[in-house]
Amino acid sequence: MPNSNIDIINVIESKLKDKVQIQLGQLGKAAIVTNDGLHRDVLKAMVEADEKTAVSAITGLDLGANLGVLYHIRTSNAFLTIRAEVPKDNPKIQTITDIIPGAIFHELEVADLLGVVFEGHPSPGHFVLSEYWPQGVYPLRKDVKANEIKLNPPPPEEAKQPEDEKVVKIIIGPQHPALLEPEKFAVTVDGETVTKVEPRIGYVHRGIEKATESRTYLQDVYLVERICGICNSIHACSFVETVEKILKTDVPPRAKYLRVIALELNRLHSHLLTLGHAGLEIGYETLFQYFWRDREPIMDLIELTSGNRVYSSLMTVGGVRRDLKDSDIPKIKATLADLRKKLPFYRQVYENEPSLKMRMKNVGVLKREDALKLGVVGPVARGSGVDIDVRKDEPYEVYGEIPFKEIVYTTGDTWARMNVRMDEVEESINIIEYAIDHLPTGLFRVKAPRVVPAGEAVNRVEAPRGELFYYVKSNGTAFPDRVKVRTPTFANIPAFLKTAIGENIADIPPNFVSLDPCFSCTDR
Amino acid sequence: MANTVTWARVKSPWVLHFNSGACNGCDIEIVALLTPKYDVERFGVKLEPSPRHADVLLTTGCVTQQCAERLKRIYDQMPQPKFVVAIGACACSGGVFAGNYNVVGGVDKVIPVTAYIPGCPPRPEAILDGVVKLLNALSPPKPKKQPKQVKQPELPKEEAKPEVAKPEVVAPQEAKLTVEEAKPDAKQ
Amino acid sequence: MIDFTLIFRILIFPGFTFILLLTLFCDWLERKIEARIQNRVGPMVAGPAGILQPLADFIKLLTKEDIEPRDAKKTIFRFAPLVAFTIMVFATCFLPIDGASVLSASGFNGDLIVILALVTIANFLLFLSGWASSNPYGAIGSARVLTQFLGYDIPLSLLALTPAFIAGSLSIAVIASSQIIPFIILAPWAFVLFIITMQAELEKDPFDIPHADSEVVGGLETEYTGGKLAFLHLTRDVQIVFGAALVVELFLGGPYGPVFFGFPVFWYSLWFVLKLLAIVIITEYISCVFARLRIDQVLSVNWRVILPAAILSLMLTVALVTWIYPMVV
Repeated sequence: MPNSNIDIINVIESKLKDKVQIQLGQLGKAAIVTNDGLHRDVLKAMVEADEKTAVSAITGLDLGANLGVLYHIRTSNAFLTIRAEVPKDNPKIQTITDIIPGAIFHELEVADLLGVVFEGHPSPGHFVLSEYWPQGVYPLRKDVKANEIKLNPPPPEEAKQPEDEKVVKIIIGPQHPALLEPEKFAVTVDGETVTKVEPRIGYVHRGIEKATESRTYLQDVYLVERICGICNSIHACSFVETVEKILKTDVPPRAKYLRVIALELNRLHSHLLTLGHAGLEIGYETLFQYFWRDREPIMDLIELTSGNRVYSSLMTVGGVRRDLKDSDIPKIKATLADLRKKLPFYRQVYENEPSLKMRMKNVGVLKREDALKLGVVGPVARGSGVDIDVRKDEPYEVYGEIPFKEIVYTTGDTWARMNVRMDEVEESINIIEYAIDHLPTGLFRVKAPRVVPAGEAVNRVEAPRGELFYYVKSNGTAFPDRVKVRTPTFANIPAFLKTAIGENIADIPPNFVSLDPCFSCTDR
Repeated sequence: MANTVTWARVKSPWVLHFNSGACNGCDIEIVALLTPKYDVERFGVKLEPSPRHADVLLTTGCVTQQCAERLKRIYDQMPQPKFVVAIGACACSGGVFAGNYNVVGGVDKVIPVTAYIPGCPPRPEAILDGVVKLLNALSPPKPKKQPKQVKQPELPKEEAKPEVAKPEVVAPQEAKLTVEEAKPDAKQ
Repeated sequence: MIDFTLIFRILIFPGFTFILLLTLFCDWLERKIEARIQNRVGPMVAGPAGILQPLADFIKLLTKEDIEPRDAKKTIFRFAPLVAFTIMVFATCFLPIDGASVLSASGFNGDLIVILALVTIANFLLFLSGWASSNPYGAIGSARVLTQFLGYDIPLSLLALTPAFIAGSLSIAVIASSQIIPFIILAPWAFVLFIITMQAELEKDPFDIPHADSEVVGGLETEYTGGKLAFLHLTRDVQIVFGAALVVELFLGGPYGPVFFGFPVFWYSLWFVLKLLAIVIITEYISCVFARLRIDQVLSVNWRVILPAAILSLMLTVALVTWIYPMVV
């Protein structure tokens, strides 16, 4: 809940009066235009004033002769953007990782895809692209065409590096039974204790941001939906909301309520999936089977309301594509009532089952200060006592009208994070029932123009895993100019690297699943 | 003896699941196969952790460049006889992501595929159907049973049927559709 | 003179073939129990109600291509699984199944110690097979196997001595046949502790960390394919049957029970099989309702809880047998 009284814009104005230009109402609460490294001073001022300052995303833009770097910052009660530009022939800008450590991966991605050089970055290198990507080819630049990039053939087998006898490196992934997706973690162990974790992601990088630029807005809805199969509705919803902000379209109230119902059903199935998957990781197969058995009626509901089990494709610019039939409502209510009755059993398992508590309590502890410094989002943050939830901080759709609780636990271990999700399951059931009871009549869609006038907008929503950020820039044609997506797992991976250190290697799977990783979201 | 071996192979297919750059949709439907509603263990299917133990490789995902080499390596590690099933539109041909940089597009560009299961994502029943069809294709076809020749008993001779007057057939009047009657679809 | 009866007993019943069929049946039973507890059905297609599923698995594995890693230690890699399986079957042959053990009519005094030693050797061979496969996951998995079974062997031996003490002999046949009142009633604490320790020896949940596929992929079996993998799986299944059989012999009165009509051999085998299945059901149930403990938690449970409890149990049994039972029984 935003209960802080800090007026961050006043703070910036008072400290850097004439050096920066403040444009109110643009790209969030305000856009601050800086030059020549002043972005660091602005950030320092913000961090000193508000402890909840964190980087939501760093967008790189190709502006012709220059490269734009947009820092999207969230604080307790405001969302701002800091604009900076660097010339293309000398794209150097100073890093901000010493002020905000959580920006480490954001900068690497802009460096990889656009070629901006962040001076002073602690560990530069390829991030989403592979090591054998052709040098000097930056995919997101306008002069690079996707189908003209010649991929180098994969290198011959990696030569065995001489290993230090005392240091044992275990490679987890890309094919590993614990991971549903390919990604690589090189875990350095000393006996059974972990000393360092080095991630290598990018195995699921499909170049979606570049692909959005060659498809129309309506085609892009189906493309961004497929960034992630688990949180698909929320991606589509965030994208259409951003486009609607540029178009300044008003979505009818019935459409907003229907969107909320679809989003909360999505949240339900995602949380039940994670709760079950966590059971599988601690060797508790019975719990996994029970959770997924109870998840199936929710999949039936998603199919009932949208026609497809996984990809509901309900969102479109201007509303939703399908109406909710009154004859379906009793079935929805009955299924949700059944799920609500099963929750006490699971709560009892989490409270009383000794082997589960031994595996989950005090495992992967993330302290509140670390959570704030690294800028984690979602249930990971709420399990460590940081109360951020976009549905409460900046309500979108009709979340401002629907009463629900924000779930916060303070212990910061795996057990707390899973409990946050379990309580959110109950809150989602409440939200859906309220939305169904208060569903207004009227249109569920308005026709939106296919050609979007030039402009740009940012949008944040609360995906099941945390804050999902979208930035869309349009240029007056039927195709977007730039779509930037920052997914919640992207912001949460640094937290995993921190919580795994000092723990037993056997604790890595439950720790990892408790942060609910989705690498198809991260790599895009 | 060969029949017993084929029988054993058909009744006990152990699978390995590999995600070569997918959005997770197909993967969660594959994991859903193990759950009570679909229960693939009925067919003897076990999800194995190591490529060396598996017979069938279930791949999902348009193959990204980083995963292409891993996919080939995993396929090589599996012992013969082995089969590959490409699940989902992305694994069959690249799906929505075909043509993107970093996407090789389709599993059959890297390893030979035995069965394709299209869909985005295919329902668990469709995946199960595909796997069962693959298994049935492995067993030798059963020879069709020839019906036994039974001596037909003699039927009594037919009595001559009385003539029945045929009713007159009147052509029905064609309904004429006027332009005003056709209602436009209620589109919002 | 060729003793055809002995050859029949060793090869067919109650020897090798019987043990093999019982192992395959117990494997099917375990899978069905696990499936039913998880709200599923389990194997259904191979044979009626899926009862031929373990046999299909075994035959399929035998016909797969056999791959040997280049860096594996060849002799151990090739022979360890088969030798481990043989030793386990040999150990099971010491147990009286139909009123007499396979090898001799009455066993010998001390065969309890011998079979516990044989089990240790078989576990050690399993460790070697994982170590010989030169795979990091195999190395970690086999190291965990070694740590776990060496740790739990001590309380296992102490608890196995409890019925020996009550019966006054180290011969299994004597222990089994002297249970007019089954020892589970005379020393129930030893029975409970023995089941828990057996759960750890057999590497079943909550102690199945060596086979945790979310951490060590395949554990010690990672690099094995084909026939050797089939024998590794069989060894583990025979261990489960052996463990249950040992519980039956030591605490439930072995094969002895009421004989109604006809041959006692038939009734003794029947009682043995029924008691064995009951123990298999109990251990499988325990393994389904618990999560998996970490290796350090497994070891701390051993040294801090099970071992002191085993010592206390032995002391309590000695006290009871020496002073209380002669007055009561």
